[in-house]
Amino acid sequence: MEKLLAILEDLNPGVDYENCEDLIDGHHLDSLLIISLIAELEDAFDVTIPAVEIVPDNFNSAKRMMAMIERLQED
Amino acid sequence: MSLASLLGAGKGVAMTSFFSPEFFLLFLPPAVLGYALIPQKGKKYWLLFAGYLFYWFVSGALILYLLLSTVLIHWFGIWLDRVQNEGKAAAAELEKEERKALKKKYRKKQLAIVWLAVILHIGILLVVKYSGFFAVNVNRLLSAVNAPFSVRIPKYLMPIGISFFSLQALSYILDVYHGVVKADGNIGRLALFLSFFPAIVEGPICRYGQTAERLWDCRQITYRNLTRGSQRFLFGMMKKLVVADRLNSFVVLVFNDYGNCDGGIIALGAILYTVQLYMDFSGSIDAVIGVAEIFGVPIPENFERPFFSRTISEFWKRWHVTLGAWFRDYLFYPVTASDKMKKLTSSARKKLGNHYGPLLAGSIALFCVWLSNGLWHGSDWNFIFFGMYHFVLILTGSLIAPLVRKVNAKLHIDPERFAYRLFQMIRTAILVVIGELFFRAEGLRNGFKMFGRMVTRFSFSSFNREFLEKSGLDPYDLVIVGITVAVVFAVSLFQEKRGSLRDALEKKPIALRWAIWYAAILFVVIFGAYGYGYAQIDPIYAQF
Repeated sequence: MEKLLAILEDLNPGVDYENCEDLIDGHHLDSLLIISLIAELEDAFDVTIPAVEIVPDNFNSAKRMMAMIERLQED
Repeated sequence: MSLASLLGAGKGVAMTSFFSPEFFLLFLPPAVLGYALIPQKGKKYWLLFAGYLFYWFVSGALILYLLLSTVLIHWFGIWLDRVQNEGKAAAAELEKEERKALKKKYRKKQLAIVWLAVILHIGILLVVKYSGFFAVNVNRLLSAVNAPFSVRIPKYLMPIGISFFSLQALSYILDVYHGVVKADGNIGRLALFLSFFPAIVEGPICRYGQTAERLWDCRQITYRNLTRGSQRFLFGMMKKLVVADRLNSFVVLVFNDYGNCDGGIIALGAILYTVQLYMDFSGSIDAVIGVAEIFGVPIPENFERPFFSRTISEFWKRWHVTLGAWFRDYLFYPVTASDKMKKLTSSARKKLGNHYGPLLAGSIALFCVWLSNGLWHGSDWNFIFFGMYHFVLILTGSLIAPLVRKVNAKLHIDPERFAYRLFQMIRTAILVVIGELFFRAEGLRNGFKMFGRMVTRFSFSSFNREFLEKSGLDPYDLVIVGITVAVVFAVSLFQEKRGSLRDALEKKPIALRWAIWYAAILFVVIFGAYGYGYAQIDPIYAQF
């Protein structure tokens, strides 16, 4: 989780990523940042994030992102 | 006389408008009544029959395109499912690394099937919709290089709604590929999903997961659904018959005879066309959603009060929502999530930073989206220009966003202040109107001429009673349009601030509720632009 928080903080500082539950719906992360974030997550966690996973539900909080990453790692 | 002609094939073209008597008086009531009376088991087949009958009336033999699309996409779904299952069974017995390699191999197989389905569907669309445009431009090139030959310009009859049901069919196969939905072995359910009669002409573009099961389930018609669906239908009817159809003659005059119009009148024509388009399309979508509501089927919304948008990017999240979502999910994200784009994003971000780095890959994907969006609307250069115009506006908005934030901070401007938000909304609306001018113009050259005239000869000197009479509008018409637009604006404002107006009205006393609905019916009956002196106007989006 710390690695993920560091990536988020590096990409777009100034958001409480540990507690924020509406990163997409609250417009903290726009589509351009999502593109960047996906590239970073794939490098950092050795996963492939397919387009179908790019939905608000998977990116609204750091916890949801971590859950998606763990699920993809198991695949 | 052929048998098809005797059976009314293609004779009900007027039915493409949901507000034509042929549709809402002759077709819809028996369709609803039959559905209500038929036993539960038969309802789905009744809906399927109604869908094909409706399409037969509006398209005749061109129904074959719909049937072909249905059979093909069903078959591709089954094939894809078989390959997916084979892959899963084979992978189950392997270790993690081997499993990964095998999955990759099966992914490739699945992708080949998906590509075949996409090429076939887009191929049919390209042939019937774009081959003429392509041939005309090839001939222009050949003539420019003095070639002694030219290509024949093919002419195909374009099936109504093909741009809509093709995208629905493709979304199904792509969702199966992505594992969002299971392939459907039941061709009847898939056929009903593609042919549900309210949505086949103008959308909304539904996803299989949104409507297929619910349609096949077939709920009994309830009093609440009947009244709420009728209310929504009535609201759409008001938009289309009172405003959109009334403005048509003015818009046609300005766009056909702009050479005799002052710049101010051309600007007014572009504004009124934008109003007409919104009232026409959103009104027709109200009818679609209303009819579907009567059958108890929730259909996705296609408009979220677009003229409250503060940026062009936001506008396209609120206007023709289902088309935008289709391009986002099946084009924008797949392009940006491709391996090459991810690498480009990673390296660009290191050199250009967090904002401009991803913008590079994003802009390539955005270009694909807007080229497709422009072409989807029609096969002419003005539609391509329309797409590129919005691409440039959205890209520019992203490029200057950091600068705007800095300037606002320096000048102590609070972007959430009402005056600033209002400025943004008006600016967005002006940009939209300019785009619609090119969209409606008879070709790109005329679009530029109109725009040039609007900017360089801006005056209203010829806007007088005589001009109004020629345009088919009189001051009385303008008052009616003004009142109706004000009503639609008030409803939109309520929805924007407090949610569903119909939900709020439901809590009011019955006498007040019915008084409002009777007043609305009377308003449409008295002020609708139909009958003597008015030609029936087909829905604008049905031609796309």
